[in-house]
Amino acid sequence: MNQTREEKNPDETGQEGQLYHYNKEMFYSFDKKSGFSKRITYQNPETQILIKQGWDEVAERLSMTRLLVTSGKRSPIAWYMEKHLMEIPMLAEYMEISSWRVRWHLTPFGFKRMKRSLRERYASVFGISAETLEHPDFTNTITETHDKTGL
Amino acid sequence: MIKLDYEHRQAGHCESGVTSNLLHYHGYEISEPMAFGIGAGLFFSYLPFLKMQHAPTTSFRVWPGMVFERATKMLGVKTVVLRFRKPEDSMKKLNEILDQKIPVGLQVGTYNLTFFPPEYRMHYNMHNMVVYGYDDKIYFVSDTLMDRLVTITYDDLLRVRYAKGVFAPMGRMYYPTYVPKDIDLKPAIISGIRKTANNMTGVPFPLIGTKGIRFLSRRMRKWERKLGPEKAAYYLGQVLRMLEEVGTAGAGFRFIYGAFLEEAGGILKQEWLREMAIEMGETANKWREFSYYGSRNCKKRGKADQSYDFLADMLLDCADREEKIFRKLAKIK
Repeated sequence: MNQTREEKNPDETGQEGQLYHYNKEMFYSFDKKSGFSKRITYQNPETQILIKQGWDEVAERLSMTRLLVTSGKRSPIAWYMEKHLMEIPMLAEYMEISSWRVRWHLTPFGFKRMKRSLRERYASVFGISAETLEHPDFTNTITETHDKTGL
Repeated sequence: MIKLDYEHRQAGHCESGVTSNLLHYHGYEISEPMAFGIGAGLFFSYLPFLKMQHAPTTSFRVWPGMVFERATKMLGVKTVVLRFRKPEDSMKKLNEILDQKIPVGLQVGTYNLTFFPPEYRMHYNMHNMVVYGYDDKIYFVSDTLMDRLVTITYDDLLRVRYAKGVFAPMGRMYYPTYVPKDIDLKPAIISGIRKTANNMTGVPFPLIGTKGIRFLSRRMRKWERKLGPEKAAYYLGQVLRMLEEVGTAGAGFRFIYGAFLEEAGGILKQEWLREMAIEMGETANKWREFSYYGSRNCKKRGKADQSYDFLADMLLDCADREEKIFRKLAKIK
């Protein structure tokens, strides 16, 4: 039985221009002369650029959402929803309410008229207090999203 | 405390790696590519109406769970696959099975996966890992993506097992209960190849298989004009992230599939399969090329290095190659 060759990884310290080096992964490759092989190494630089592009997009959307919230066009829920990389249907699932109700709560008018219990439930989903939900701190670091949340 | 003598082995694809490693624990050796191939894991779908991270969903593999379920079924392995309405029941059952000295595969969402590389922690629910023990409220995890063994707390494990969104896991857990001593791989391989060939070329639905690749190609040509350069670059980036990012082992599983065909050729003693493996390897390299040129467009963010027509033509080339390969593979006996 043919087994895919394992290549020794010559670069133990990481590739030049590497953005992420938290973990090495397994990758397969093919060369017509040597066939299929696999090796454990860091994600290649081109793909790391793609990953970063995704996160840059997230940061940009977060900035835009912050402006909408601070200018009174959206409720603070919009900020936390964006911060947790969620869209309306997902937030509705976590809240166990319909999407149209989430849309309503995203408006400043709908947010003001929300019951306390719903406010607390949103806060719990986002891993914050109800007070912080009403007065967001607008911390812009995406990595903070990865702290313990109520999700 | 329960901590099973479970061997952690890294893999290119989480579900195939889990399948291979769980069977290894039960005394049966099967490579990751073989598990992937028998499980008919290779696929393509482009679903513009289903958005993930604000962009259409592109997938290069079948739905989560199918590789394990198909591969074990074809191998005659008896398994248990469970989902739970109540999260607490899922954790209770997990402990119960671990107490019986059986490691358990779990489908999880990666957003709250605390040990996962931070750059990968988006809302992605198609990830698989194995829990091989626990000590009170700490669980011992073998995640085939990771280059080391890891742990996770009870609360965090509950969160990731009940992540919401597309392909929500709903506490899904699975484990083999009986592995036959002698397994004839040949019918399993043939069935797996036929299934993949049919999935890629035989289903009359425009968004999947080689038809799906061509559909994406047509759409891609219009992105810059219809969406504007920034959004077009983001959409392209999303396709490329699904192609190359976590858990495809590169080129959207095409390398793994080629490795499977090479191995299958040896087992079945059918030399033509090795030639198909070479064609698949070359196709995988074409996908890689597409990814390389595409990523340059994404880097420029708005000023495309290569036109979307150029990239769309590359997709068509990949579609043509895969069509040719899978139509030949469909005739396997």
